[in-house]
Amino acid sequence: MADVKRTWIKDAFWETPSKELLNCISEHKEGFKDVRQVHKLKRGDPLFDECVEQLTIEFIDKTTDERVNKKFKEQEQQRQLEINKRKAERLEQLFNYKLETFEVEDIKESKNRILKSRLRRAKSIPEVNLYAIMIIQDKLENDKETE
Amino acid sequence: MIKKPSKGYLVVASRKPNFYSLAINCIESIKDYYPDAKCCLVTEEKFLDGREDIADDLIFCDDHYRAKLWGMANSPYDITMYIDADSEIEHEDIATVFDELNNNDMMFHKLDEKYKKVYAITSFTYENVREYYTYCGGVCLYDMRNPLVKDFMNDWNDLFRKQYSKELILPMDPWQELWDFDQTTLWYLLNKVDKYKNIKVDSFKDNLRWNYFPHYERYFNAFPKDPVVIRHYSSYAQKDKSYA
Repeated sequence: MADVKRTWIKDAFWETPSKELLNCISEHKEGFKDVRQVHKLKRGDPLFDECVEQLTIEFIDKTTDERVNKKFKEQEQQRQLEINKRKAERLEQLFNYKLETFEVEDIKESKNRILKSRLRRAKSIPEVNLYAIMIIQDKLENDKETE
Repeated sequence: MIKKPSKGYLVVASRKPNFYSLAINCIESIKDYYPDAKCCLVTEEKFLDGREDIADDLIFCDDHYRAKLWGMANSPYDITMYIDADSEIEHEDIATVFDELNNNDMMFHKLDEKYKKVYAITSFTYENVREYYTYCGGVCLYDMRNPLVKDFMNDWNDLFRKQYSKELILPMDPWQELWDFDQTTLWYLLNKVDKYKNIKVDSFKDNLRWNYFPHYERYFNAFPKDPVVIRHYSSYAQKDKSYA
Protein backbone atom coordinates (compact mmCIF):
# COMPACT_ATOMS: atom_id res chain seq x y z
CA MET A 1 0.00 0.00 0.00
CA ALA A 2 2.66 2.42 1.12
CA ASP A 3 4.60 1.94 -2.12
CA VAL A 4 1.72 3.11 -4.30
CA LYS A 5 2.30 6.62 -5.60
CA ARG A 6 -1.06 8.31 -5.89
CA THR A 7 -2.03 11.50 -7.60
CA TRP A 8 -5.10 13.18 -6.12
CA ILE A 9 -7.47 14.70 -8.66
CA LYS A 10 -8.18 18.34 -7.97
CA ASP A 11 -11.87 18.03 -7.29
CA ALA A 12 -11.89 16.66 -3.74
CA PHE A 13 -14.54 18.12 -1.44
CA TRP A 14 -15.77 17.82 2.13
CA GLU A 15 -18.87 15.68 2.52
CA THR A 16 -19.72 17.31 5.88
CA PRO A 17 -19.23 20.81 7.31
CA SER A 18 -17.11 19.31 10.12
CA LYS A 19 -14.59 18.18 7.46
CA GLU A 20 -14.52 14.66 8.92
CA LEU A 21 -15.41 12.96 5.63
CA LEU A 22 -13.55 13.63 2.40
CA ASN A 23 -14.77 12.71 -1.08
CA CYS A 24 -11.84 12.41 -3.46
CA ILE A 25 -10.45 10.60 -6.48
CA SER A 26 -6.97 9.15 -6.82
CA GLU A 27 -5.01 7.83 -9.77
CA HIS A 28 -2.07 5.48 -9.73
CA LYS A 29 -0.25 3.09 -12.03
CA GLU A 30 -0.47 -0.67 -11.77
CA GLY A 31 2.00 -2.00 -14.32
CA PHE A 32 0.80 -0.50 -17.61
CA LYS A 33 -2.66 0.24 -16.27
CA ASP A 34 -3.90 3.58 -15.00
CA VAL A 35 -6.16 2.97 -12.03
CA ARG A 36 -8.68 5.56 -10.90
CA GLN A 37 -10.41 5.18 -7.54
CA VAL A 38 -13.18 7.13 -5.86
CA HIS A 39 -12.81 7.37 -2.07
CA LYS A 40 -14.88 8.48 0.85
CA LEU A 41 -12.24 8.88 3.51
CA LYS A 42 -12.74 9.43 7.23
CA ARG A 43 -10.35 11.54 9.25
CA GLY A 44 -7.74 9.21 10.71
CA ASP A 45 -7.39 7.19 7.52
CA PRO A 46 -3.80 7.50 6.23
CA LEU A 47 -5.15 8.21 2.71
CA PHE A 48 -7.18 11.10 4.17
CA ASP A 49 -3.97 12.71 5.41
CA GLU A 50 -2.17 11.95 2.15
CA CYS A 51 -4.87 13.61 0.07
CA VAL A 52 -5.16 16.66 2.37
CA GLU A 53 -1.40 17.07 2.40
CA GLN A 54 -1.21 16.95 -1.39
CA LEU A 55 -4.23 19.17 -2.18
CA THR A 56 -4.21 21.36 0.98
CA ILE A 57 -7.18 22.25 3.22
CA GLU A 58 -7.59 25.66 1.57
CA PHE A 59 -7.92 24.11 -1.87
CA ILE A 60 -10.46 21.50 -0.66
CA ASP A 61 -12.42 24.28 1.09
CA LYS A 62 -12.51 26.17 -2.20
CA THR A 63 -13.70 23.22 -4.31
CA THR A 64 -16.32 22.41 -1.64
CA ASP A 65 -17.66 25.96 -1.81
CA GLU A 66 -17.76 25.85 -5.61
CA ARG A 67 -19.59 22.53 -5.53
CA VAL A 68 -22.15 23.76 -2.98
CA ASN A 69 -22.78 26.88 -5.06
CA LYS A 70 -23.15 24.84 -8.23
CA LYS A 71 -25.60 22.45 -6.54
CA PHE A 72 -27.53 25.39 -5.12
CA LYS A 73 -27.75 26.98 -8.57
CA GLU A 74 -28.93 23.72 -10.12
CA GLN A 75 -31.58 23.32 -7.44
CA GLU A 76 -32.69 26.89 -7.98
CA GLN A 77 -32.95 26.31 -11.74
CA GLN A 78 -34.94 23.12 -11.12
CA ARG A 79 -37.24 24.98 -8.75
CA GLN A 80 -37.74 27.73 -11.34
CA LEU A 81 -38.59 25.15 -14.01
CA GLU A 82 -41.16 23.58 -11.68
CA ILE A 83 -42.73 27.00 -11.05
CA ASN A 84 -42.78 27.70 -14.80
CA LYS A 85 -44.25 24.31 -15.53
CA ARG A 86 -47.11 24.93 -13.12
CA LYS A 87 -47.57 28.45 -14.49
CA ALA A 88 -47.69 27.22 -18.10
CA GLU A 89 -50.18 24.50 -17.15
CA ARG A 90 -52.38 27.03 -15.37
CA LEU A 91 -52.25 29.33 -18.39
CA GLU A 92 -53.26 26.53 -20.73
CA GLN A 93 -56.13 25.54 -18.41
CA LEU A 94 -57.22 29.15 -18.26
CA PHE A 95 -57.13 29.41 -22.05
CA ASN A 96 -59.33 26.30 -22.31
CA TYR A 97 -61.71 27.65 -19.68
CA LYS A 98 -62.06 30.95 -21.54
CA LEU A 99 -62.79 29.15 -24.82
CA GLU A 100 -65.51 27.12 -23.11
CA THR A 101 -66.93 30.29 -21.58
CA PHE A 102 -67.02 31.97 -25.00
CA GLU A 103 -69.14 29.03 -26.21
CA VAL A 104 -71.95 29.81 -23.72
CA GLU A 105 -74.82 30.82 -26.01
CA ASP A 106 -75.48 34.28 -24.51
CA ILE A 107 -71.77 35.09 -24.48
CA LYS A 108 -71.32 33.80 -28.01
CA GLU A 109 -74.15 36.08 -29.19
CA SER A 110 -73.04 39.12 -27.19
CA LYS A 111 -71.73 42.06 -29.22
CA ASN A 112 -70.13 43.74 -26.20
CA ARG A 113 -66.53 43.82 -27.44
CA ILE A 114 -65.22 45.65 -24.37
CA LEU A 115 -66.43 43.06 -21.88
CA LYS A 116 -65.42 40.19 -24.14
CA SER A 117 -61.95 41.67 -24.41
CA ARG A 118 -61.76 41.97 -20.61
CA LEU A 119 -62.79 38.33 -20.30
CA ARG A 120 -60.05 37.32 -22.74
CA ARG A 121 -57.46 39.26 -20.73
CA ALA A 122 -58.64 37.79 -17.39
CA LYS A 123 -55.82 36.34 -15.32
CA SER A 124 -57.84 33.81 -13.30
CA ILE A 125 -60.95 31.66 -13.46
CA PRO A 126 -62.88 33.81 -10.93
CA GLU A 127 -62.11 36.86 -13.07
CA VAL A 128 -63.37 35.02 -16.17
CA ASN A 129 -66.57 34.13 -14.28
CA LEU A 130 -67.05 37.71 -13.22
CA TYR A 131 -66.84 39.04 -16.78
CA ALA A 132 -69.00 36.16 -18.02
CA ILE A 133 -71.76 37.25 -15.62
CA MET A 134 -71.37 40.88 -16.72
CA ILE A 135 -71.63 39.89 -20.40
CA ILE A 136 -74.77 37.83 -19.77
CA GLN A 137 -76.34 40.66 -17.72
CA ASP A 138 -75.54 43.11 -20.51
CA LYS A 139 -77.01 40.73 -23.10
CA LEU A 140 -80.22 40.25 -21.08
CA GLU A 141 -80.63 44.02 -20.68
CA ASN A 142 -80.11 44.57 -24.39
CA ASP A 143 -82.60 41.78 -25.21
CA LYS A 144 -85.15 43.43 -22.88
CA GLU A 145 -84.68 46.79 -24.60
CA THR A 146 -85.11 45.22 -28.03
CA GLU A 147 -88.36 43.45 -27.01
CA MET B 1 -47.70 58.18 -56.58
CA ILE B 2 -46.81 54.77 -55.18
CA LYS B 3 -49.80 52.86 -53.93
CA LYS B 4 -49.55 51.81 -50.29
CA PRO B 5 -49.65 48.04 -49.90
CA SER B 6 -52.67 46.61 -48.13
CA LYS B 7 -51.79 44.84 -44.89
CA GLY B 8 -53.84 42.37 -42.93
CA TYR B 9 -54.01 39.30 -40.73
CA LEU B 10 -55.20 35.92 -41.93
CA VAL B 11 -56.62 33.13 -39.77
CA VAL B 12 -57.88 29.81 -41.11
CA ALA B 13 -60.34 27.34 -39.59
CA SER B 14 -61.33 24.19 -41.42
CA ARG B 15 -62.51 20.70 -40.63
CA LYS B 16 -63.44 21.03 -36.94
CA PRO B 17 -65.99 23.47 -35.49
CA ASN B 18 -63.64 24.03 -32.56
CA PHE B 19 -61.09 25.52 -34.89
CA TYR B 20 -63.73 28.03 -35.94
CA SER B 21 -64.13 29.05 -32.27
CA LEU B 22 -60.37 29.27 -31.89
CA ALA B 23 -60.10 31.38 -35.05
CA ILE B 24 -62.79 33.78 -33.82
CA ASN B 25 -60.96 34.08 -30.51
CA CYS B 26 -57.69 34.74 -32.35
CA ILE B 27 -59.19 37.47 -34.55
CA GLU B 28 -60.99 39.07 -31.60
CA SER B 29 -57.70 39.11 -29.70
CA ILE B 30 -55.99 40.87 -32.63
CA LYS B 31 -58.71 43.53 -32.51
CA ASP B 32 -58.48 43.79 -28.72
CA TYR B 33 -54.99 45.20 -29.17
CA TYR B 34 -55.28 46.69 -32.67
CA PRO B 35 -58.89 47.72 -33.33
CA ASP B 36 -58.11 49.03 -36.84
CA ALA B 37 -56.52 45.76 -37.96
CA LYS B 38 -57.82 44.24 -41.17
CA CYS B 39 -58.55 40.58 -40.54
CA CYS B 40 -59.49 37.85 -42.96
CA LEU B 41 -61.17 34.65 -41.80
CA VAL B 42 -60.85 31.68 -44.10
CA THR B 43 -63.31 29.02 -43.06
CA GLU B 44 -66.01 26.60 -44.15
CA GLU B 45 -69.46 28.09 -44.73
CA LYS B 46 -71.09 25.45 -42.55
CA PHE B 47 -69.35 26.76 -39.42
CA LEU B 48 -70.72 30.31 -39.57
CA ASP B 49 -72.72 31.33 -36.50
CA GLY B 50 -72.72 35.13 -36.65
CA ARG B 51 -69.38 35.60 -34.89
CA GLU B 52 -67.65 35.79 -38.27
CA ASP B 53 -68.81 39.45 -38.39
CA ILE B 54 -65.63 40.29 -36.49
CA ALA B 55 -63.64 39.58 -39.68
CA ASP B 56 -63.27 42.28 -42.31
CA ASP B 57 -62.91 39.72 -45.06
CA LEU B 58 -64.45 36.28 -45.23
CA ILE B 59 -63.32 33.58 -47.63
CA PHE B 60 -64.72 30.08 -47.84
CA CYS B 61 -62.41 27.10 -48.08
CA ASP B 62 -62.85 23.34 -48.34
CA ASP B 63 -62.52 20.93 -45.44
CA HIS B 64 -58.89 19.98 -46.11
CA TYR B 65 -56.66 19.19 -43.14
CA ARG B 66 -54.32 22.03 -44.17
CA ALA B 67 -56.77 24.45 -45.79
CA LYS B 68 -54.49 27.07 -44.22
CA LEU B 69 -52.13 26.75 -47.18
CA TRP B 70 -54.93 27.44 -49.66
CA GLY B 71 -56.03 30.32 -47.45
CA MET B 72 -52.52 31.78 -47.37
CA ALA B 73 -52.29 31.64 -51.17
CA ASN B 74 -55.63 33.41 -51.45
CA SER B 75 -55.05 36.23 -48.97
CA PRO B 76 -56.82 39.46 -49.99
CA TYR B 77 -53.87 41.53 -48.72
CA ASP B 78 -50.56 42.50 -50.31
CA ILE B 79 -48.73 41.88 -47.06
CA THR B 80 -50.24 39.19 -44.87
CA MET B 81 -49.53 38.04 -41.37
CA TYR B 82 -50.83 34.49 -41.17
CA ILE B 83 -51.47 33.28 -37.61
CA ASP B 84 -52.48 29.74 -36.56
CA ALA B 85 -56.03 29.74 -35.15
CA ASP B 86 -54.93 28.26 -31.82
CA SER B 87 -52.99 31.42 -31.00
CA GLU B 88 -53.90 34.48 -28.99
CA ILE B 89 -52.56 38.01 -29.23
CA GLU B 90 -51.48 39.65 -25.99
CA HIS B 91 -49.63 42.82 -26.92
CA GLU B 92 -50.35 45.97 -28.93
CA ASP B 93 -47.14 45.48 -30.92
CA ILE B 94 -49.17 43.16 -33.12
CA ALA B 95 -49.83 46.39 -35.06
CA THR B 96 -46.11 46.68 -35.85
CA VAL B 97 -45.55 43.15 -37.10
CA PHE B 98 -45.46 44.30 -40.73
CA ASP B 99 -42.29 46.28 -39.98
CA GLU B 100 -40.57 42.97 -39.23
CA LEU B 101 -40.58 42.08 -42.92
CA ASN B 102 -37.83 44.61 -43.76
CA ASN B 103 -36.74 43.73 -47.28
CA ASN B 104 -37.66 40.07 -47.07
CA ASP B 105 -40.34 38.21 -48.96
CA MET B 106 -41.32 35.92 -46.12
CA MET B 107 -40.72 35.68 -42.39
CA PHE B 108 -41.22 32.64 -40.20
CA HIS B 109 -40.74 31.55 -36.61
CA LYS B 110 -37.37 29.84 -36.43
CA LEU B 111 -37.14 26.35 -34.96
CA ASP B 112 -34.16 26.72 -32.70
CA GLU B 113 -32.07 23.58 -32.19
CA LYS B 114 -31.85 24.26 -28.45
CA TYR B 115 -35.64 23.99 -28.06
CA LYS B 116 -36.06 20.88 -30.20
CA LYS B 117 -37.73 19.00 -27.33
CA VAL B 118 -40.77 21.27 -27.84
CA TYR B 119 -41.18 20.52 -31.53
CA ALA B 120 -42.93 17.49 -32.98
CA ILE B 121 -40.03 16.72 -35.31
CA THR B 122 -36.87 18.62 -36.27
CA SER B 123 -34.43 16.35 -38.04
CA PHE B 124 -34.73 13.89 -40.90
CA THR B 125 -32.69 12.69 -43.86
CA TYR B 126 -33.08 13.81 -47.45
CA GLU B 127 -31.42 11.45 -49.92
CA ASN B 128 -29.56 10.04 -46.92
CA VAL B 129 -28.17 13.40 -45.79
CA ARG B 130 -29.11 14.66 -42.31
CA GLU B 131 -31.24 17.79 -42.54
CA TYR B 132 -33.16 20.01 -40.12
CA TYR B 133 -36.39 21.89 -40.32
CA THR B 134 -35.58 25.57 -40.07
CA TYR B 135 -38.97 27.22 -39.90
CA CYS B 136 -42.34 26.63 -38.27
CA GLY B 137 -45.47 27.39 -40.26
CA GLY B 138 -47.42 28.55 -37.20
CA VAL B 139 -46.99 32.15 -38.24
CA CYS B 140 -45.89 33.59 -41.56
CA LEU B 141 -45.49 37.16 -42.66
CA TYR B 142 -45.32 37.41 -46.44
CA ASP B 143 -45.48 39.91 -49.25
CA MET B 144 -47.46 38.78 -52.28
CA ARG B 145 -46.62 41.87 -54.30
CA ASN B 146 -43.70 39.72 -55.40
CA PRO B 147 -45.25 37.24 -57.88
CA LEU B 148 -42.70 34.64 -56.78
CA VAL B 149 -44.23 34.67 -53.30
CA LYS B 150 -47.69 34.14 -54.76
CA ASP B 151 -46.30 31.19 -56.77
CA PHE B 152 -44.61 29.88 -53.67
CA MET B 153 -47.83 29.93 -51.67
CA ASN B 154 -49.72 28.18 -54.48
CA ASP B 155 -46.99 25.56 -54.83
CA TRP B 156 -46.86 25.04 -51.06
CA ASN B 157 -50.59 24.29 -51.12
CA ASP B 158 -50.53 22.15 -54.29
CA LEU B 159 -47.50 20.15 -53.24
CA PHE B 160 -48.78 19.56 -49.72
CA ARG B 161 -52.10 18.26 -51.08
CA LYS B 162 -50.19 15.83 -53.29
CA GLN B 163 -48.01 14.83 -50.37
CA TYR B 164 -51.02 14.36 -48.10
CA SER B 165 -52.93 12.28 -50.67
CA LYS B 166 -49.82 10.06 -51.07
CA GLU B 167 -49.54 11.13 -54.71
CA LEU B 168 -46.10 12.55 -53.89
CA ILE B 169 -43.46 10.88 -51.78
CA LEU B 170 -40.31 12.89 -51.22
CA PRO B 171 -36.98 11.08 -50.61
CA MET B 172 -37.16 12.00 -46.93
CA ASP B 173 -36.89 9.69 -44.00
CA PRO B 174 -38.78 8.78 -41.79
CA TRP B 175 -41.47 9.64 -44.34
CA GLN B 176 -44.25 8.11 -42.19
CA GLU B 177 -43.54 10.87 -39.64
CA LEU B 178 -43.07 13.70 -42.15
CA TRP B 179 -45.79 13.33 -44.74
CA ASP B 180 -48.55 15.20 -42.87
CA PHE B 181 -46.44 18.23 -41.90
CA ASP B 182 -46.68 21.36 -44.01
CA GLN B 183 -43.16 22.11 -42.69
CA THR B 184 -41.93 19.21 -44.80
CA THR B 185 -43.24 20.85 -47.96
CA LEU B 186 -41.96 24.23 -46.79
CA TRP B 187 -38.47 22.84 -46.25
CA TYR B 188 -38.51 21.10 -49.63
CA LEU B 189 -39.60 24.21 -51.54
CA LEU B 190 -37.08 26.46 -49.83
CA ASN B 191 -34.14 24.08 -50.07
CA LYS B 192 -34.63 21.88 -53.10
CA VAL B 193 -36.61 23.85 -55.67
CA ASP B 194 -34.44 26.08 -57.86
CA LYS B 195 -37.26 28.46 -58.68
CA TYR B 196 -37.31 29.64 -55.06
CA LYS B 197 -33.59 29.77 -54.33
CA ASN B 198 -33.57 33.57 -54.48
CA ILE B 199 -36.68 34.13 -52.42
CA LYS B 200 -35.75 36.20 -49.37
CA VAL B 201 -36.72 34.32 -46.24
CA ASP B 202 -35.79 35.06 -42.67
CA SER B 203 -36.99 34.58 -39.11
CA PHE B 204 -38.30 37.25 -36.73
CA LYS B 205 -35.54 39.13 -34.92
CA ASP B 206 -36.98 38.54 -31.45
CA ASN B 207 -38.03 35.08 -32.57
CA LEU B 208 -39.96 33.83 -29.51
CA ARG B 209 -42.01 37.00 -29.35
CA TRP B 210 -44.04 36.25 -32.45
CA ASN B 211 -44.94 32.63 -31.79
CA TYR B 212 -44.48 31.80 -28.14
CA PHE B 213 -45.23 28.19 -27.27
CA PRO B 214 -46.02 27.70 -23.54
CA HIS B 215 -43.43 24.90 -23.63
CA TYR B 216 -40.66 27.49 -24.04
CA GLU B 217 -41.37 28.57 -20.49
CA ARG B 218 -42.26 25.13 -19.19
CA TYR B 219 -39.09 23.36 -20.27
CA PHE B 220 -36.50 26.04 -20.87
CA ASN B 221 -37.45 29.09 -18.84
CA ALA B 222 -36.98 30.88 -22.16
CA PHE B 223 -38.58 34.22 -22.91
CA PRO B 224 -38.32 36.76 -25.71
CA LYS B 225 -36.39 39.97 -25.15
CA ASP B 226 -39.59 42.03 -25.33
CA PRO B 227 -43.07 40.97 -24.18
CA VAL B 228 -44.80 38.10 -25.97
CA VAL B 229 -47.09 39.26 -28.79
CA ILE B 230 -48.47 35.95 -30.07
CA ARG B 231 -48.95 33.01 -27.69
CA HIS B 232 -49.45 29.75 -29.54
CA TYR B 233 -51.36 27.09 -27.62
CA SER B 234 -50.66 24.40 -30.20
CA SER B 235 -49.26 21.77 -27.83
CA TYR B 236 -52.36 22.12 -25.74
CA ALA B 237 -54.66 21.93 -28.75
CA GLN B 238 -52.96 18.72 -29.85
CA LYS B 239 -53.30 17.15 -26.44
CA ASP B 240 -56.95 17.96 -26.05
CA LYS B 241 -58.97 15.71 -28.32
CA SER B 242 -61.65 18.37 -28.75
CA TYR B 243 -59.14 20.45 -30.71
CA ALA B 244 -57.48 17.59 -32.55
